[in-house]
Amino acid sequence: MTPRVDLKEFLSAYVAEVDEQLQAANAKLLEVEASSHAGHANPRSVRDLFRALHTVKGLSAMVGVEPAVAIAHRMETVLRVADTAGGPVALSSVDTLLQAIREIELRVREVSQGKEPSPAPRAILDALDKLDLSSPLSTRGPATALDLDPAVASKLAPFELDLLSAGVRNGRRALRADFSPSPAKAERGFSINTVRERVGSVAEIVKVVPVAVPPTDEAPGALSFAILLLTSASDEEIANAVGIAPESLQVVMPATPTLESATPPPVVAAGDDDLEPLSHRRNIVRVEVSRLDDAMEHLSTLIVTRSRLSRAIAELTSTGANTRALAEIMRDNARQLRDLRAAILRVRMVPVSEVLERIPLLLRGLRRESGKQVRLELDAGNAELDKGVAERLFPAIVHLVRNAVDHAIEAPADRTRAGKPAEGTLRIQCFAQSNTRLELTVSDDGSGVDRASVARRVGRDLATDAALLDALCRAGLSTRDQATTTSGRGMGMDIVKRIVVDQLGGELAMKTAAGVGTTFTLRVPLTISIVDAFTIERHKQRFVVPVSMVEEIFEIEPAAVRFGPSRGMAEGSRAGIVERRGEAVPLVDLAWSLRLAGVGVAPRQAILVRRGGEPTAFGLDRVIGQQEAVVRPLIDPLVQAPGIAGATDLGDGKPTLVLDLVALGGTLAARDGERAA
Amino acid sequence: MTNLTRYGAPAEGQSAGTLHVVFKVAQSEYLLPSETVLQMESFSGATPVPGAPSYVIGIVQIRGRVVPVVDLRLRFGAGVGETVLDNRIVVGQYGDRVVGLLVDSAREVVKVTAAQLKPPPPILNHQASGFVKAVVQVGSRVMMLVDFARVIGEEPLHGVD
Amino acid sequence: MAEVLIVDDSKVMRDMVTSCLRPNSALTVTHASSGLEAIERLSLTRFDAVVLDLNMPDIGGIEVLEFVRSQDKLRALPIIIVTTRGDEASRAKALGAGATSYMTKPFTPEAILNEVSALVASQAAGA
Repeated sequence: MTPRVDLKEFLSAYVAEVDEQLQAANAKLLEVEASSHAGHANPRSVRDLFRALHTVKGLSAMVGVEPAVAIAHRMETVLRVADTAGGPVALSSVDTLLQAIREIELRVREVSQGKEPSPAPRAILDALDKLDLSSPLSTRGPATALDLDPAVASKLAPFELDLLSAGVRNGRRALRADFSPSPAKAERGFSINTVRERVGSVAEIVKVVPVAVPPTDEAPGALSFAILLLTSASDEEIANAVGIAPESLQVVMPATPTLESATPPPVVAAGDDDLEPLSHRRNIVRVEVSRLDDAMEHLSTLIVTRSRLSRAIAELTSTGANTRALAEIMRDNARQLRDLRAAILRVRMVPVSEVLERIPLLLRGLRRESGKQVRLELDAGNAELDKGVAERLFPAIVHLVRNAVDHAIEAPADRTRAGKPAEGTLRIQCFAQSNTRLELTVSDDGSGVDRASVARRVGRDLATDAALLDALCRAGLSTRDQATTTSGRGMGMDIVKRIVVDQLGGELAMKTAAGVGTTFTLRVPLTISIVDAFTIERHKQRFVVPVSMVEEIFEIEPAAVRFGPSRGMAEGSRAGIVERRGEAVPLVDLAWSLRLAGVGVAPRQAILVRRGGEPTAFGLDRVIGQQEAVVRPLIDPLVQAPGIAGATDLGDGKPTLVLDLVALGGTLAARDGERAA
Repeated sequence: MTNLTRYGAPAEGQSAGTLHVVFKVAQSEYLLPSETVLQMESFSGATPVPGAPSYVIGIVQIRGRVVPVVDLRLRFGAGVGETVLDNRIVVGQYGDRVVGLLVDSAREVVKVTAAQLKPPPPILNHQASGFVKAVVQVGSRVMMLVDFARVIGEEPLHGVD
Repeated sequence: MAEVLIVDDSKVMRDMVTSCLRPNSALTVTHASSGLEAIERLSLTRFDAVVLDLNMPDIGGIEVLEFVRSQDKLRALPIIIVTTRGDEASRAKALGAGATSYMTKPFTPEAILNEVSALVASQAAGA
């Protein structure tokens, strides 16, 4: 009897895909709003928005998230009407649509946390039912001359024709490229998917129309695809992307339109570097972060083994053997391990532009609440960042954005009086400063930080920007006595500093000029490693141990510890044996294995780890707690030691060692017979 | 906490000399070029790293960066030093590496010209294990120019890594 | 072995349908992430059944149906379209354009398994 298929197994995949669709929906909706503001229609974005919601509805129906289905269905109905009408979307409807997306996001969040999704609020369902998206602006332009097969031309929707006309008017060429798939071409890497991707990077694809052709060697499937595109690239580039001869490209719309009775309304045509909406997602694999952490742990054991090998070779060398060949192999091995580590860390990288995706939506809300006019410029380029760093950095960026809108950028009237444009500019830029650091700047053209006011608050003269920043980052300081609604309480500049400098090991700098603006510069490492860890104590010193390597924590009963014969070793250095679940486990004092200074009491608790199946228990005073720790590896050769995975900051500004007890267990055998210092 | 501003090398043609940081270890005075020194910090303890060489007193956190600290008093064979308020960590840079040196005190900056540098006498050189690059006479003071790379363990390769 | 082509731009959806069809070991599944890719595959490889989502970018399910049915060799190919509840208009159009049958989301794993298996079996019997 085959086990019943349970679609609920797809829940986490569902959440991931729906999250992406909703994020895209938000972005498309903002694009539609921007177009409507400017008086255009944006049929492509409306279509994409419609499709995203339709997909969300279908997936939600399959896994059984009813409230999401209910909301998405109504949004879809409303958007279908807008899609058919083809005009600009009424601005007044955008808020309701955004709210509806948020409500779906909430339910998806609930489902991802294993809860039942709360029912769709009556209010939003009613609002959607009553929504009328149409706007009074007219949309159709005059008929445009198209030099195209009627069979193909008839497949084009009105807005696609408009796109072609608009593109030609803007100086691009409208071309047709024909691609016939075949097994031979597929083998050479030319299939409709790859061709579209390649063409999409040098042109804007308006439509792809399948055409039946007589079967030939060139087209064994009796099929050809007519690719209609707009481009400023050369014929050669387009032809290469498709794998055909440049001569076979056809111009489908002449450069000078023959008819132009009235000025047609502008239609938003995307630029040449706009990839098709989902094409860049095709080569992407979603990876659970925990799997990457596993991979890193395997790498760590490789590195430990390498140190043992290294020591063994050193011993061999000291006996006089010629180990030059071995030394060379070890150098290669070191390089390969470094490369492997870098490759694994690269998998955790996310594009910074993705991290900043939520900022436009956030800014929209801030503009409303503050009544200020602000334009956002995002320039993240290709910069990438470790997912862990990105997650920690995001709240810091959000705070800086809030600060800028709330405090820095002046009200439109004040700005005009000061001779500035009424609309303020907020610019977020990011680039890789080196191959280990990223630099991100948040700058505004507002009024600058009120130096005098801050100086008064701290009772000191603040001559330099560095001193001013330092003062701003004191906990409890705010330049306004009341917390305003947008900046709120709690997230002050001190927390930004704590995140960027203490937690991430980065730098925070500021430049400000009264009346001109402020720029915050954040420099952060590209990658970090974050683990769930126990904080432990021995001889009044604290250490951190990753949870993943701990098999058990138990109380030590002094009477139950057995000591065998020991060759006159000092008290602390003797290993004992305890029985745990029928196993004889060696018990070693952490103080001894770490050569800790000072004398303390006998250990009261122990942590059990296992290495290659063999258990070892390390005695300590107590386990203080559990938390997430950002592990900074100790890269300097002076402090690379087996058993030490790195250092972390527990919030006191002093580095606390992160122990690799599994590796430490391995070194104990090497110290066998040593007397305590 | 003192921040030393770093000065670039003097323009060509000027023989005014280059700036060097002066620090003391066990009554002797030493020099390091200012361009090697990133900053100077006061010392309030380090986290020991078991398994590190005995002259590495541990790691400290400076401006969010984890920095290993070499106790120069131990490194130079002067014996375990006292921890006094004057102690400073001179944070230096060599290539990618940033390492701190724990010294008894560091308060001065002097200009040193090429003419003032003399090679260390052979006996001294041998004793100093290559830690001293040159002997410098500034007025009546005799100071030693430290080889930062050697001090932080950059050795020529013999055997493995 | 019967070859089934699953066409949907959502990977989650394709994986779910694949999972639903797994109990029938006589079925082999191929994925296409767009209508254009589906048309390409159908032109070069023989399939015994197609599960086709109507809501896709670049070329809708209806256009795919119309094109496929215009090809002689594909006229009898069983095509199951997948629609969502409330989409009656599209469903009618699809059936009119030549869809063999339809499934409405949400459908149970058994429902789609039975539908595909039945269509494949009757095709084999008829051939």
